[in-house]
Amino acid sequence: MPIDAANPVPPNLPRHVGMDQIPDHVPADLVRQSGLTVGPEFLAAPHDFMAALHHKQPPIYYDVSPMGNMWHLTKHEDALFGLRHPDIFSNEGATPFPRDPNDYFYFIPIEIDPPHHRKYRNIVDAVFSPKGVLKLEGLIRQRSNDLIDAIEAKVAAGGTCEFTEDFGRPLPVSVFLDIMGLPQAMRDTFVEWAMELLHSNDRAIMGQALAKISAYLKEAIAEKKAHPDDGVVSLIAHAEPDGVPLSDKEIFGFVCFLFIGGLDTVFATLNNIWLWLARNPEKRQEIIGRPEDIDRIVEELLRRWSVTFSGRVLDQDYEMRGVQMKKGDRVTFILPACNFDPEVFPDPMTVDFDRPRKTILAFTVGVHSCMGGHLARLEVKIALQEWLKRVPNFDLQPGTRIEYRPGGVIGPEAVPLVW
Amino acid sequence: MPKVTYVDHEGRASAVEVELGDNVMHGAVYHGIEGITGECGGGLSCATCHCYVDEDWLETVGGPSSQAEEELLEAVAAELKPGSRLCCQIEMTPALDGLVVHMPEHQF
Repeated sequence: MPIDAANPVPPNLPRHVGMDQIPDHVPADLVRQSGLTVGPEFLAAPHDFMAALHHKQPPIYYDVSPMGNMWHLTKHEDALFGLRHPDIFSNEGATPFPRDPNDYFYFIPIEIDPPHHRKYRNIVDAVFSPKGVLKLEGLIRQRSNDLIDAIEAKVAAGGTCEFTEDFGRPLPVSVFLDIMGLPQAMRDTFVEWAMELLHSNDRAIMGQALAKISAYLKEAIAEKKAHPDDGVVSLIAHAEPDGVPLSDKEIFGFVCFLFIGGLDTVFATLNNIWLWLARNPEKRQEIIGRPEDIDRIVEELLRRWSVTFSGRVLDQDYEMRGVQMKKGDRVTFILPACNFDPEVFPDPMTVDFDRPRKTILAFTVGVHSCMGGHLARLEVKIALQEWLKRVPNFDLQPGTRIEYRPGGVIGPEAVPLVW
Repeated sequence: MPKVTYVDHEGRASAVEVELGDNVMHGAVYHGIEGITGECGGGLSCATCHCYVDEDWLETVGGPSSQAEEELLEAVAAELKPGSRLCCQIEMTPALDGLVVHMPEHQF
């Protein structure tokens, strides 16, 4: 569906919620209430839960959930196909964040399908390319070490380290603020807003959070328009693709989307990985002993600890594996489950740094593959290097019971460490 | 600025300028040349910037630049040939001015 991002119109896509709202074309034997992101089994061990989908559920099933009814797809092959065909599996209206219909905007570039998509990616690609993010290496190392300094000081004074609050959260959020050209003083406020938006599982709270975020970002954009700098907010505010300045709606939708995508995902990834490191001393030693293999180590950890999903909306009737889906149906590709597809990654739950390289879905694929993926890789890599250099041995605090945050980005609530 | 010529599977050629130090995948993607997808942006994770280096340029360009590129080449969708490279891994140098690469019919 061609859309004009300068003149956004709310899509007229029905949301189905609950067992009484299952469309007629969905066969009864494919209906499940899997509990993904909300059920107790998922929240106890989300990655084990998603790996088990391969033997507990058919590869395509219709999930009924308080967060909305939709098709779930778990095969690696199906995800590669679906995510690479935006003409069939469209992004328009597929982003789950509630917007004010009277002040509607598109999340850019994720909701913009080709051919308009490239116009927006070109504006920021130089910043987020593998080469672009390398310029941030020194800064990320510095911020990592500053945080470890503070943790060591706290521990030396008799305090304890809670990884998510002391490192996992502040590192990516402060790097994000640096890149965007926004003040570090906003760090904790941003985290709070992101939590409400991504983890409240309550559309009313999500809407309020988005309203607060919108008010702040609109002011920040106005400020950058008046006083350009080299941050990404300013870059977008002053962009003129093909000589035409972006409209206010486009600028806002772009900046707002980066806010949503940039805060929580690396945070959750680091928390997952550090929980695993605390429980697997021999793997920690292996990482320390193989410094030259850090890139493949990061790639395998991203496969094993992917944190999110890709939602799409069918733009036409489409049949896959004998399952007839209809135009307007919502679809979620369960990316972590795809990364555990035993046909592609044998013995999928084992962390094996010597796996042959295959396309992983941590950052999705297709035109909408994650633009922050290279930044995320670099942050995980530097965090591992700097942390393990200074704190090679650590354990979970005895008696810790790990709980996972509900919501669309998967990570443990708290990871208290001792050493 | 050095030029690269991208030839699609039906023989249509487009020549564009690619900045020194940038890579051959970007040259295609930034100029809207279909045939190179480059969906991961050069991170060696998607295998969608597969190209065949023209025979005359094989020696100058050389083979895969890392073990990761070698492994990922095994994952490309189109036929693997002696000149196969992931063009995000070919960096523009003055010596590559005039480079010709051929593109497979599909990247996935």
